[in-house]
Amino acid sequence: MDDRIDCTTDKKAQDESVDMRDVLDLAMNMGRVLLKNGAEIFRVEETIDHVCGRYKIGDVESFVMSNGIFITARDETEDIYAKVKHIPISGFHLGIVTEVNDLSREISAGKIGLKEARMRLEEIEKMPPKRGRFRILAAGIGSGCFCYLLQANFWESMIAVLIGCLLYVFVIFAENHRLTKIITNIVGGGFITVMALLALSIPWPFPVRMDKLIIGSILPLVPGVAFVNSIRDIANSDFISGIVRIVDALLVFVYIAIGVGFVLGCYNKITGGGWI
Amino acid sequence: MDLIGDIIINMFCSFLGTIAFSVLFNVPKRFYICCGFTGMAGWLCYLICINGASVSTSTFFGTVLVVLMSRILAVWKKCPITVFLVSGIFPLIPGAGVYYTVYNVVQGNLAEAAGRGIGAIKVAFAIVLGIVFVVSIPKQWFQVNYWRSRFRGASENSDL
Repeated sequence: MDDRIDCTTDKKAQDESVDMRDVLDLAMNMGRVLLKNGAEIFRVEETIDHVCGRYKIGDVESFVMSNGIFITARDETEDIYAKVKHIPISGFHLGIVTEVNDLSREISAGKIGLKEARMRLEEIEKMPPKRGRFRILAAGIGSGCFCYLLQANFWESMIAVLIGCLLYVFVIFAENHRLTKIITNIVGGGFITVMALLALSIPWPFPVRMDKLIIGSILPLVPGVAFVNSIRDIANSDFISGIVRIVDALLVFVYIAIGVGFVLGCYNKITGGGWI
Repeated sequence: MDLIGDIIINMFCSFLGTIAFSVLFNVPKRFYICCGFTGMAGWLCYLICINGASVSTSTFFGTVLVVLMSRILAVWKKCPITVFLVSGIFPLIPGAGVYYTVYNVVQGNLAEAAGRGIGAIKVAFAIVLGIVFVVSIPKQWFQVNYWRSRFRGASENSDL
């Protein structure tokens, strides 16, 4: 494995003179894109190491946290590079993580030059999320399927499909208007409950249970990526980042619970404790 | 006959539902089928275990299978493990427990709420344990070359 990388490295390294700054800027940018789109801490660290290792920059130290990257490096001429980058926690896009991962593989195998890699990274970063209609449909289908898995009947699942779609229309609206996570999840949870209560008030010819509807359609709001990433960070002993991320994930659960609980409580007051 | 139909519907729903959630996380198209199978395997494992074990134990075994499959697929498809792991684990997330906790808190049944809440936390810890156990397995064990060189007795020459 090592031999193959070495010979290609020599070939490429001769036909382009690499500046340490360019390499480290590229490494930093790749790390930033990875971290922003929901990669684990060790993946970011490994990517930086791979890129630097490919261009034989020896004295590199990187320190990655859930919302920042610090890199320092020194070459033979005692030139020192140091950079700190702040990266706010934002949405997740696993497609971008996959693409950057492929790019880092290609760089460390020596298949791609520095300039090319920079251009590829810019393209990858502009990769849009899936189209709105597609995601709305997916949220609906996901809600319906999991509603059915939790022992709901067929018609309840169909109502959950509808609620899931409507919920995601709201989520995409919130994304476009840059509403904060708190508002999105509290209003989203409340919205689901209102819809479920509305669905209950229609006299359907089949039994409809509110709990199944809500449990099914709540799932598109659940912070799966944050939860799994935080566990993996803690498993890798990146405790600071892991705890920051698990708090992020747990707070989303709390927000959803506040939304659902608020609407249920109001309904309880209005109807005087009479539950359907 | 009814049982077989039930199993098929369960398989189909978990497959489709997992794919739907992988769409929400913007997973590239070429991984959809693998994500679906990961979620399906996890859910089936959960269903088999639930006959003889508690919810949290079944969730643990389901999670272990999901993480194992994700690691194998991640090595095979050369992509981050997160892609399969996040979508595959979705059927096992204790959404129901969280909902019943809130419901009972609002209704004033605090004892019931505490029971449900602790149940949800137990399931969450089962997921955490499942992930941590399988993630701790050394990376080389998932690479074919490692076992090939082990069996040839050439392990001292390998760069692992």
